[in-house]
Amino acid sequence: MLAIELIYVAYIVAAVLFILALRGLSSQETAKRGNVYGIVGMAIAIGATLSLPAGDFHPLLVGSIAIAAVIGAVMALRVGMTQMPEMVALLHSFVGLAAVLVGFSLQLRGEAPLAERVEIYVDVIIGAITTTGSVLAFLKLRGTVSGKPLLLPARHFLNLAMLIAIVVLGVMYGRDHQDWTLEVAAVIAGVLGMHLVAAIGGADMPVVVSMLNSYSGWTAAAAGFMLKQDVLIITGALVGSSGAILSYIMCRAMNRSIWNVIFGGFGATPPPSSAKKPAQPAGDVQEIDAATLAQRLRESKNVIIVPGYGMAVARAQHAVRELTEALRKQGVNVRFAIHPVAGRLPGHMNVLLAEANVPYDIVLEMDEINHDFPTTDVAIVIGANDIVNPAAEEDPTCPIAGMPVLQVWKSKLVVVNKRSRAAGYAGIDNPLFYKPVTKMLFGDAKDAIEKVVAALKA
Amino acid sequence: MKLGIVHETRTGERRVAASPNVVARFVKGGWEVDVERGAGVAASYPDAAYEKAGAKIVDRAGAWSADIVLKVRPPDEAEVGQLREGGCLISFLYPAQNDALVAALAQRKVTVLAMDQVPRISRAQKMDALSSMANISGYRAVIEAANRFGSFFTGQFTAAGKVPPGKVLVIGAGVAGLAALGAAKGLGAIVRAFDVRAAAEDQVKSLGGEFLTVKVKEAGEGQGGYAKEMSKDFIDAEYALFREQAKDVDVVITTALIPGKLAPKLWLKDMVELMKPGSVVVDLAAEQGGNCEYTKPGEVAEVNGVSIVGYTDLPSRMASVASDLYGMNLWHFLEEMGGASGWKVDRDNDAVRPALVLENGEKMWPAPPVAAMAKKAEPAVTPPPKAEVKSTPATPAPAPAKSHGHGPPTAAPSRGSGVLLVVVGLIAAGAWLALRLGYADTAVSKESAELLQHLTIFVMAVFVGFQVVWNVTPALHTPLMSVTNAISGIIVVGGLLGGTGDLHASSAVAIVATLFATINIAGGFIVTRRMLAMFRK
Repeated sequence: MLAIELIYVAYIVAAVLFILALRGLSSQETAKRGNVYGIVGMAIAIGATLSLPAGDFHPLLVGSIAIAAVIGAVMALRVGMTQMPEMVALLHSFVGLAAVLVGFSLQLRGEAPLAERVEIYVDVIIGAITTTGSVLAFLKLRGTVSGKPLLLPARHFLNLAMLIAIVVLGVMYGRDHQDWTLEVAAVIAGVLGMHLVAAIGGADMPVVVSMLNSYSGWTAAAAGFMLKQDVLIITGALVGSSGAILSYIMCRAMNRSIWNVIFGGFGATPPPSSAKKPAQPAGDVQEIDAATLAQRLRESKNVIIVPGYGMAVARAQHAVRELTEALRKQGVNVRFAIHPVAGRLPGHMNVLLAEANVPYDIVLEMDEINHDFPTTDVAIVIGANDIVNPAAEEDPTCPIAGMPVLQVWKSKLVVVNKRSRAAGYAGIDNPLFYKPVTKMLFGDAKDAIEKVVAALKA
Repeated sequence: MKLGIVHETRTGERRVAASPNVVARFVKGGWEVDVERGAGVAASYPDAAYEKAGAKIVDRAGAWSADIVLKVRPPDEAEVGQLREGGCLISFLYPAQNDALVAALAQRKVTVLAMDQVPRISRAQKMDALSSMANISGYRAVIEAANRFGSFFTGQFTAAGKVPPGKVLVIGAGVAGLAALGAAKGLGAIVRAFDVRAAAEDQVKSLGGEFLTVKVKEAGEGQGGYAKEMSKDFIDAEYALFREQAKDVDVVITTALIPGKLAPKLWLKDMVELMKPGSVVVDLAAEQGGNCEYTKPGEVAEVNGVSIVGYTDLPSRMASVASDLYGMNLWHFLEEMGGASGWKVDRDNDAVRPALVLENGEKMWPAPPVAAMAKKAEPAVTPPPKAEVKSTPATPAPAPAKSHGHGPPTAAPSRGSGVLLVVVGLIAAGAWLALRLGYADTAVSKESAELLQHLTIFVMAVFVGFQVVWNVTPALHTPLMSVTNAISGIIVVGGLLGGTGDLHASSAVAIVATLFATINIAGGFIVTRRMLAMFRK
């Protein structure tokens, strides 16, 4: 048993370590140390809590910690890097669930002053929204539930109704402190969370995941107010602002406001402009085969690869790495251009390329590399569509107008690898495919790239 | 102000200080220009062309009496005498090697600026006449070599059979070396380059050359973009490499210079003897004694059928373009000094001060350390101006040393959002306080004080979060998510606090909460660790 003051000092130390953990992520060199800070901070926080003088911990509690640690470890070690988005979403739901349960646990303790009741209520509501929203996001990312946005006819009205119900129940709960009000409110909040996520479409999933990340932080902060624990407040606030920033970055990368993403139901209905656009970028696409591409690559000095979600789906990152290595060995300057919303998670492509052992110093962000396309001999687009769509710059009526895109079409040759001729997630045609500099390499990303590598080595 | 462009008297010198093209610029800029009769003839610029450009054709004495005399070569004794007392001369001067000349000029109480002393800083690149001339030398070296080489530079498949491509080795990838590299590549040869400076590698590769290195690790960067002298180990390794190359290559172009010293001997007698008959060595360092041991400055030597070209007047052999480029350097230099209307010698101008040798007869060279300090502040190593490399489409080298991952975040949060945050925080604080006070109990003051404290911490933490997270590199956004995920498992503290005492509804729920939160902690940290372990350079 430690003196209570010492325990509070330990909490502060833990909070500082968490801040250092996030700070460590500012560069790849310090990131691992940052993670260690986080682990140490967490160990200190748990250790301090367990040595509270009032501690009379139930044996089951210790058992559950042990079991949960094993479950968590197994999950984390088994998950494939392409499944990271699902894993992250699932973990968000656990935080939300834990917050809801902590709230109920406090509620079941009995009497609570008004302020505490308000805090419990806020904690449970945010927690419930996070939980169900994350579960649905998990299912969507996994493909169990269709990624298409679900748009109920009166969805805005529904959302508003649920919100009002939650507020009304909150007032009732505050006044009477009855269990059922909290329970009903939790269920309604759960439905609201699901409905909010259901209305958001495939390409917007990075925003959803980062928003849920933010929610899970605010939940923890709310729990901190409820329990009067500063370490929870600080940590929750850190996580909450982190998620909020990520959402903001993602939205800006798509040139849309957060409200537009949450309530827009983007990509569901075919945009009206496409109907009255008979003059679709006319002309046929030109195909290229692996051998010709290999020849062109061999003659190139500068090559930029633009990966998208298609690379993740086809698990083509290792083939891409081989291609990179083969070209670099021949003295070709190969670099990667990563659009902020490529993939289904912020930084998704970076993680996949890192998994395949692509050195991170040739993986560049959009702003760093966009002006290099005019001096590029070959730009290879692998499983990306909307993020290289010139319509965003050229056609003010198109739904993604104004979204910053990678200007691949400025290079001397653009090779687009696609499974088929289908449109991207935004459901719009891509004039890039019809440009004279563009050649299409149809086929599964992995097979196609492997063929190119084979031709290159031949 | 009147500029005088004089005839170059040194034997074999065909250049002139400005082409009609440049003269037209001067005239447009407000200068009066006097050109000595016949000054540009050797560079294929007849007097009529100067007149058309707005210059006045004058006799020798007339041109020399101008306010500022523009010249290519250092003046000889007779010419010093022709300078107007108190006048100004701008030309190549090499003050370190020409003490007597500087003394003679000082006696005439003139102001002298040496084009060879223009510092190699980024801002002064456009006035860097040495680079302009080196570029021409490099190109011409290839042409001289091709002229003597008995075969094609580019490989050919003809009906009669196959001709292998010529192989060119460039030693020293400075401005001249890179120009030679580009020119040889443009003719279709296989080009290799050797340089002791690591920075040269990218530049060589960007021009399509193969970069040769030795195993010994030693940095060869000296001052001002030149190389320094290397250790014995390094030189031995270098010689071994050269002997190997000597058997293979058809053309060797050497450009190695160390400022203020005789050129290092790099292409030794035995290397020449190893070369195939018909091969060519062009020694661009011939004026400083040559890099090749067989070099005869100003001449072509022949050893075992290998020609060693030691011309020291390569820029002069392309007098037309050399005069034009040198003139442009002069034009930029005079503009830097204030142009026709505001021309003056500004000792504080760090691009001009190093070139100032004499001011009204007073010796100003070498420039004091103040200027040297200013010089250091600028990027010291000037990348050779690639745009000047002729006959090759200039391919910019990949942006070097751009530190990915350390760069500033895509954008800082706007001030607006910060203000918004403060407002939201204050409103929240106010609302909570009102709520607390509204239902005043006995413990009002204590409780509200406590709450205020928590709120303060909350708002501060949000700010810290914003600051810290904006610095996270976008490449690490996924690990950021998983690590924040893990630390938001801190909610476990709530579960632990609830899971005390006997097992009843409340503590059971808390135990389940602990379970989920712990999965999160373990899962989040481990998955982050896995991801971060994958990032490698």
